[in-house]
Amino acid sequence: MSIRKSLFIVLSMVICLGALPAAAQDDQVNMTMWVRSIPFQTQALVDQWNASNDSQIELTIIPSGEFVTKMGAAIAAGEPPDIASIDLIYTPAFAAAGQLVDITEWVRQLPYADDLTPAHMELGMYEGRNYAVPTGVDGSFIVYNIDLFEQAGLDPDNPPSTWDEMLEAMRAIDALGDDIYGYWFSMACAGCNAFTFLPFIWASDGDVLSDDYSEATITTDPIVGEALAFYNTIWEEALVPEGASIDNGSNFVSAFTGGNIGMAGMGNFAIPLFTNDHPDLNFGVFHIPGKEGGAASFGGGDVIAIASGSAHVEEAWRFIEWTMSDEAQIEIYAANGQIPVRLALEDNKYFEGDERQRTAASALRVGHTPYTTVYNDLFNDPNGPWLEMLQIAILDGDIEGALELGQERFTQIMEG
Amino acid sequence: MTAPAVDVQAERSQQEIRRLRRRALLWLRYFILVVLALLFLFPIAWSFINSIKLPSEAMAAPPTYLPNEISLRNYEELTTYGKIGIAQHVYNSTVVALITVAGSIILSTLGGYGFARFEFPGKNVLFIMVLSTLMIPFQSILIPLFVMIVQVDLHDTLFGLALVYITFQLPFGIFLMRNSFLAVPQEIEESALLDGCSSLSILYRLMLRLALPGIVTVAIYAFINSWNEFLAALIFMSDQDKFTLPVFLTTIRYGIWGDVNWGALQAGVIVSIIPSLGIFLALQRYYMDGLMGGAVKN
Amino acid sequence: MGVGIGAGQEQLGLMKQITVMNLSWTQRRKLTGLLFVMPTVAFVTVFFIIPLIMTAYMSLHDWPLFGERAHIGLENYQELSKDRQYLKSLDFTFRYTLLVTPPIFILGFILASLVRRNIRYIGIFRTIFFLPVVIGLGVSSLLWVWMLDDRIGVFNKILLDLNLVPKAQLFLGRPNTTMNVIILSVVWKTVGFTMILLLAGLQSIPDALYESAEVDGAGYFRKLFYITLPLMRRFIALALILSVIGSVLSFDQFYIMTRGGPRNSTISIVFWIFNNSFTYFKMGYGAAMSIVLLGILVALTGLQLYVLREKE
Repeated sequence: MSIRKSLFIVLSMVICLGALPAAAQDDQVNMTMWVRSIPFQTQALVDQWNASNDSQIELTIIPSGEFVTKMGAAIAAGEPPDIASIDLIYTPAFAAAGQLVDITEWVRQLPYADDLTPAHMELGMYEGRNYAVPTGVDGSFIVYNIDLFEQAGLDPDNPPSTWDEMLEAMRAIDALGDDIYGYWFSMACAGCNAFTFLPFIWASDGDVLSDDYSEATITTDPIVGEALAFYNTIWEEALVPEGASIDNGSNFVSAFTGGNIGMAGMGNFAIPLFTNDHPDLNFGVFHIPGKEGGAASFGGGDVIAIASGSAHVEEAWRFIEWTMSDEAQIEIYAANGQIPVRLALEDNKYFEGDERQRTAASALRVGHTPYTTVYNDLFNDPNGPWLEMLQIAILDGDIEGALELGQERFTQIMEG
Repeated sequence: MTAPAVDVQAERSQQEIRRLRRRALLWLRYFILVVLALLFLFPIAWSFINSIKLPSEAMAAPPTYLPNEISLRNYEELTTYGKIGIAQHVYNSTVVALITVAGSIILSTLGGYGFARFEFPGKNVLFIMVLSTLMIPFQSILIPLFVMIVQVDLHDTLFGLALVYITFQLPFGIFLMRNSFLAVPQEIEESALLDGCSSLSILYRLMLRLALPGIVTVAIYAFINSWNEFLAALIFMSDQDKFTLPVFLTTIRYGIWGDVNWGALQAGVIVSIIPSLGIFLALQRYYMDGLMGGAVKN
Repeated sequence: MGVGIGAGQEQLGLMKQITVMNLSWTQRRKLTGLLFVMPTVAFVTVFFIIPLIMTAYMSLHDWPLFGERAHIGLENYQELSKDRQYLKSLDFTFRYTLLVTPPIFILGFILASLVRRNIRYIGIFRTIFFLPVVIGLGVSSLLWVWMLDDRIGVFNKILLDLNLVPKAQLFLGRPNTTMNVIILSVVWKTVGFTMILLLAGLQSIPDALYESAEVDGAGYFRKLFYITLPLMRRFIALALILSVIGSVLSFDQFYIMTRGGPRNSTISIVFWIFNNSFTYFKMGYGAAMSIVLLGILVALTGLQLYVLREKE
């Protein structure tokens, strides 16, 4: 490498001198932190920390779709941020590659270690060691428009609890008018459907991955095909707007705020938006049901970790520990409508009296998250097998073909 | 006497008909040209019209044809968009473009002069090597370029990105400058040489002036290509502060949890079009000459 | 430019030394020439030749973006033949190239014919047709994806207002319509470039040839096939090579307009290389694909040069 390096140096001297930045010399601890562009309270956390501590954190917001690529490139370049708020599903991949600091000993000392949301703690572990703790937690559920339920003669206090009941409700609402639809899904958004469609399968005791996450069970578990057929019916009967088929997530949240959608899969992150920006929207929340009942939720959100190579590991942990304190969890999280990372804090003065917020928080008790180092390639990649399978099955109606394609591509990716 | 008169008259009227027909064809040609021109201008005009609507109107579904109210709010929003604001990205794109322009001019001039006026061993091999860069585009060697740039700590720097851009401007630049120098009569140079000028001072004092149009062409190409490039900028820049304009604009398109700020996006499109459009309109003679000259002499 | 002079002085110094060494005039000229092309050669070596060799080298390795790398011989290449999406991308890229090239050439030729004669204001029209070329493909893709939107897009607005469609069309929702609208946007963006090259070709043909053909009673198509096209061969070859290579390497429009959808039907080769290298972090595998792509490009260029060669 040294020859190439010196060539570069010669070249840069010939062409342009003095373009290299000088390193800053400073005694103060300056840390960098990355977060993807999602509306958790990260900025508020960092601001509060910076205001009351000597060490300072510089927060960079990375577009969600670019986060993994950018993080990988930064690690490859040896310049990762000190602290990273990572989508929890990527944690196994980063931990397996040895890119995160082992924080097991610190985690064990936390008095509330066992009270932290279980799905996030599981994803933050690798080979029995802790590498991350929850920081922005969310679970999926269904929101429904109470006004439309009433107009369609449905009982809003008794929302659907099986797939058939959901279909019945959608048909009734859809019949209300040309511009009124029973349901919404964003069928060009891979992550949206992992978040809101997988739980339909889980709630029916099915799964697309085996219990030990070692192989795909798309063709072997009949529930997968049935769930696809359920969504295909929704599409075939035009119970969703046609535009849903090409929505890349742009309208995942906003579609429901138009007031003409009966139900939609959603996460807690949207509730403050609904209540603040759309006070007229009269909505309720119920858990995602299985075929014949039951409930499940996708445990989503971010965990927080320290990147290997950080020069400020101790100070970074001090910040992380503070984000889980009562002070931060109640006054920053709950006060802004965000679910606390500690289950016991579900009962707090800000959530009192709002059943929706409590239902949303309780979704995390039935929360589940696939543990795989190739999560991104399987589920989240807009070009991955998950979305392709959904589109072919649901929009084209070729369920058999979709299942086989899905099984083949899942297996190929999981075998590396 | 009558017969010839008729002939003359017939010929006249035939000439008249031909003239009229030519004129009608000319009008038809203009008509087609105007229609096509409007179609070609439409996307840019439509983007501009929407950029000066109020943000709420720019987001309206279905859209309005003409703004109810003219406003620069979309442009204002851009100045603070994503906390960094567009000014930083304009700066990034400008710096990259200027380094690319400077590097391309210097290297193409020196190299073009060398290839045009000197004989040395291995000249043909080296010339073909430089030109082969044209045939093997950088998209296919992006991966090792990325690895190399990372290893010498130049990733995430505007300078590193510009180095890559310069390399891929070189084949065209060298080719063009070589032709420019070849077009200068040998005698002028020889007389200067006999007067005792060194090669470099000949290049500097004499040849550069004669080859100035070529240099301008190289500069325009370097500017427009680096200003517009997307893929390499997407890969080499991971720090948001360093995003060039095209990459920044896609972050508007894939906004936070979806909501696309269409008005701001169109304002951004206009901002990013203006420099290359302005340079092209001001200097299009050189641009076209470069293109046609390259084609003629290839 | 100041920097350039600095570099020049260095060379000036070197040359003075050479003079002192009393080399013959020809030898000195040789050295000077080498010195002039050295910076270019260095650049091309570092940023082109070395990466080219590295691509080949990396393609023989399991080379993750971070973590351990291992030599695995030709495994990446064997993997390619089983990669369903890679084969699909090859197929798509060729289909796209075949479909997008004719419209660009036909419209480019029509435009070139229309602006050929130096009638009044013709410069304005040439400029207008060429304008989209100087806009980046990335930016133009953003522009088009917005115009094609089903809710706020202007195309649907116009079609609905003219009652040409019963309801808003999802142009980017089905593989075949997606292909069509992307081709439309690319033709708009690139046809001016082809127009200029063909215009140069048209203008290189002496008018006298047409006049004598007209005396012989040749019609438009006879003139087209016996004079215009054969004499424009070189220009057509150049335009064709540039256009085909551009299409085979396309990325921006698919990445921005469709993200590869719907049903992964618009993932071009470069897109799939990008995905494997920078999203799935399999850089060795991506390098193997690049080598195949490289082979395809060289073969295509060779083929086109052969087909359109000068018959002498």
